[in-house]
Amino acid sequence: MFEQQLFNGLTLGLIYALIAVGYTMVYGVIELINFAHGEVYMFGAFLCVTIINSLGVPLFPAMVLAMGLCALMGVSIDHIAYKPLRKAPRLAALITAIGVSIFLQNIAMIIWGSRPVPFTRSAVPAAFSEQAFALGSVSVSGLQLFIYLFTTAMMIGLTLIINKTKVGTAMRALAQNATAAALMGINVNRVIAFTFALGSSLGAAAGILVAMYYNTMSATMGYNAGVKAFAAAVLGGIGSVPGAMLGGVVLGVAETLGAGYVSSQYRDGLGYAVMIAVILLRPSGLLGKSVGQKA
Amino acid sequence: MTGQSTALKLLGLCALLAFPLMPFSSEYVLHVAVLIMVYAVLAMGLNVLPGFCDLLDLGYVGFYGIGAYTAGILSLNYDMSFWVVVPLAAALGALCGVLRGAPTLRLSGDYFAIVTFGFTELVVLFLTNEIWLTRGPLGMPGIPPIDINLSWLGIDWRYDFMSETPYYYLGLLMVAFVYVVMCRIEDSRLGRAWLSIKEDPLAAASCGINLMAYKSVAFAFSAAVGALAGCFMARWSMFLAPDVFKFWESFLVLCMIVLGGLGNINGAIVGSVVLIALGEVLRVVLPHFGLPTETRFLAYGLLMILIMRFKPGGIFPAIAATSKKSRLIMDLKARLQAERAG
Repeated sequence: MFEQQLFNGLTLGLIYALIAVGYTMVYGVIELINFAHGEVYMFGAFLCVTIINSLGVPLFPAMVLAMGLCALMGVSIDHIAYKPLRKAPRLAALITAIGVSIFLQNIAMIIWGSRPVPFTRSAVPAAFSEQAFALGSVSVSGLQLFIYLFTTAMMIGLTLIINKTKVGTAMRALAQNATAAALMGINVNRVIAFTFALGSSLGAAAGILVAMYYNTMSATMGYNAGVKAFAAAVLGGIGSVPGAMLGGVVLGVAETLGAGYVSSQYRDGLGYAVMIAVILLRPSGLLGKSVGQKA
Repeated sequence: MTGQSTALKLLGLCALLAFPLMPFSSEYVLHVAVLIMVYAVLAMGLNVLPGFCDLLDLGYVGFYGIGAYTAGILSLNYDMSFWVVVPLAAALGALCGVLRGAPTLRLSGDYFAIVTFGFTELVVLFLTNEIWLTRGPLGMPGIPPIDINLSWLGIDWRYDFMSETPYYYLGLLMVAFVYVVMCRIEDSRLGRAWLSIKEDPLAAASCGINLMAYKSVAFAFSAAVGALAGCFMARWSMFLAPDVFKFWESFLVLCMIVLGGLGNINGAIVGSVVLIALGEVLRVVLPHFGLPTETRFLAYGLLMILIMRFKPGGIFPAIAATSKKSRLIMDLKARLQAERAG
């Protein structure tokens, strides 16, 4: 039982990590909490299903297409809503972010309705619902195995991009000091756009995986996922990409174990409790740099 | 000029007082008017944090819910009078406000926004799951209306608020009370401390302002006002359900103060009038287009983005100038604005 919960928690945690990375990367480069990220995640799921249903595309190409569209969406959000406010007071950008989030949530409600929609079952490979392997009492389904492999691959790819490529170096430079980075000839807006594209496509992938895992999606699913992914990002140390990955996994496992052994009703509140505890005890998070006193 | 504006204000006051007596003010119109008042109080209360202290509160409706359920539970189970419940609910709201803000006192405003983001949902989760206390998703029907009972004075006289009209006047009184308190606080030592924290926390701290103490007062005060509005709402609508206090409502109240201009007390009232009226119109119009009524938030979201982009001072900056404020603060604000623009 315990081992099974652990594996289920890992599934959920890897997905949270995928969302949290998007929050933390954007926070790293422009110091803005991108509240609309949860909506990009929701759009990922809906776009994927719409592409499958209307174009008859198989699952994997549809997934790639949806991720691409969401990357475009993330870049557009930044370009239309956030970019004009780069020099405005912090509060203006934060309020805009929340406005974008509500706006997108309602667009989704108009397009796809306010009721939950199931994932197109026929598009999901049969192997996903079968047991992939069993370890003693633990049974892991094909979909879970796919989630493990896919998210791990994404994380490795992301780490490589950030640490080994030119644009990744530029991202890290921007996170340290935007003015100095601009003086060194880095095209700041292009790097920010790239960050949004990267984060949004990972968020979209997470949305698709969640929709497949639970076989349901709704226009409001971004809010709860957003709160939890935030909690994960804060747990890992906001601004730190490896921190967000670790935070997501820890939170997912903690949530599943908490739901199994403590209280299943307060499942959604657990992420919040973890976040408060982290902020109280170690605001810099597990892997983050220390945060300033300045209010 | 001054005489003219005083006369105009008096006329406005008379119109407000006479409003329920007019032939066109049906129960529905009065209901909307009372709803506007509840939201005006909420907007003024929320305004304290983002407006005066530069802290974005995304879960304000949680306190509205705490106040409403406190009133509901105390009135139903202990048969308490509205006038006793109000201070209790406000105190509980203030306590919750401080507890919610406390973890982020030493951190940047971003952490406060994150903590408040999930707060409404936590309150809804509590209200839904603690069935022994709140009856959960079934909601809480049969809350008694407000009454004035003078039996404790030895006078056998009792008045029950049976129609919308008495609620209208009580609501008007509540709005006026909160408005006056807000205006007085904005001009006080407390208000000046908040202004300095908002403009530059580091400078404020070096001038000897205790950031944590003043921020805690702001958390408590803002939350208490929210709980007050909740109290009134509970005894007015006589039915409570957890769904009323969802995240959307926090957003609606935030949209009101953004519309009126952050930190602008008059603007908060104007914002609540405009958005509640707009909401009522959209509630009727949207179904004609085959859209669910929740999609009215599309307009609110868009409004918020556009205002922040093009009119960050709110759509009626002129209203701010007409409110009575101390010269000192007005000058200071004008200088700060000029400095920022230049």
